[in-house]
Amino acid sequence: MNYSTSQFKNGLKLMLDGNPCSIVNNEIVKPGKGQAFNRVKFKDLITGKTLEKTFKSGESLEAADVMELEMQYLYSDGEKWHFMDPASFEQFDLGEESMGAALNYLVEQDNCIVTLWNNNPISVSPPNHVTLEVIDTDPGLKGDTAGTGGKPATLNTGVVVQVPLFVAIGDRVKVDTRTNEYTGRA
Amino acid sequence: MPNFKEKLIHYQYLIRNIRDFFYSHNVVEVVTSSLLVSPTTDVYIDSIEVSVNHALSKSSKFYLHTSPELEMKRLLSRGSGDIFQICQVFRDNEHGRINSNEFTMLEYYRVGFDMHQLIDEIKELLITLGKDDAIKKISYAQVFSDIAKIDILNSDFEDLKNILESHGLNSDYEYIEDMQMVLFVHLIEPKLKTIPVCFIYDFPKQQAALAQIDGLVAHRFEMYIKGTEIANGYQEIQTSKEYRDRFEIELDKRKSLSKSIGSLDEDFLDDLEDGLPPCSGVAIGIDRLFTSLSL
Repeated sequence: MNYSTSQFKNGLKLMLDGNPCSIVNNEIVKPGKGQAFNRVKFKDLITGKTLEKTFKSGESLEAADVMELEMQYLYSDGEKWHFMDPASFEQFDLGEESMGAALNYLVEQDNCIVTLWNNNPISVSPPNHVTLEVIDTDPGLKGDTAGTGGKPATLNTGVVVQVPLFVAIGDRVKVDTRTNEYTGRA
Repeated sequence: MPNFKEKLIHYQYLIRNIRDFFYSHNVVEVVTSSLLVSPTTDVYIDSIEVSVNHALSKSSKFYLHTSPELEMKRLLSRGSGDIFQICQVFRDNEHGRINSNEFTMLEYYRVGFDMHQLIDEIKELLITLGKDDAIKKISYAQVFSDIAKIDILNSDFEDLKNILESHGLNSDYEYIEDMQMVLFVHLIEPKLKTIPVCFIYDFPKQQAALAQIDGLVAHRFEMYIKGTEIANGYQEIQTSKEYRDRFEIELDKRKSLSKSIGSLDEDFLDDLEDGLPPCSGVAIGIDRLFTSLSL
């Protein structure tokens, strides 16, 4: 199946140079004395890189068979990360190179979005907010409940997040995965 | 964010300031017919066809003007001197965020001006309208060389095909000017978004439209405000024969692209028998200008 430039819209998944890509921005440019073009920004769903292309209006691209499914993260055996589709109980696994930033946030049993291309997983997006445990941080100042300062804390996934001084080892904290920012104690 | 009424009043001031500018420069305001007997020959602009009844059951086809250019040139050929017009123009098959089937155009002609003098005057107009940011002026060849390291005027059809392919773009084009344009849209225009006002002049001769050709370039210019095309102007060709030749090139290209073809406007060509005075003219999109002034 092909999509022509007139059907382009943000989020549409298309094949570009052999890789599945998602449209991030689609701009129609019609020079006063020229034909119309679509200047399109894509995100390569495998490499995560952004690329720009310009098409003559009317050109078409092959659709990418891409699905985003909510799955449960089961476990990692050190080489592969294993996920399960709770609807079909079908299991999928990804290597470290495809895990991206999700490595920093996923703990077993968490739900996340797994992107499948031709039914093969290619990337994982963690939920926007996760709750993780502090496993290492300097002792904070007692009584500093206003959170005026900050200090680094290592969480149970290994990620390091700036937290207020009052946060202690063993606390459970909420983190926004898009910005890697502490948003509060759980 | 101004409210709706404030916006209308801002628009009114824009139009009034434009009129004041031209009145004070002794440029005469004119109104020309928007109902024409021939469609535009412009390759990538389509006229809207309308059916007009002269009497009961006697109708004929007319075309809404896509720009008042030819009608104003008839006035110039009759000795009008400097003229301007603000009017609605109509174009078929337009789509996109900043394209529309109807928009407001300011078109004006200055007798005895070359392209550079006209650009200078448009700068003065912009300053009058409150656009006093740094104004840049650069040739088409220079902007390609600076931004993309491409010698656009000396790149032939095969060179451009290779350049397109090296950027991972479709190179299936029949005309060299279309490849120049896709490269401009892909490589140059996005970089103009950071420039408040940029005039680009001396287009490749293949994109001459109705501008005078001088060697590899045509004395045609465009004005971009933050990367959006706002104006297009020419140092005008003058003789009836030159117009006929340019129109015929355009019609041939329309034919090869399977686009509709109308008859040439022979009345226009007849009126130009004695030629136009040396002059330069420009079309400025008022809706886009209005939007860009508030940026």
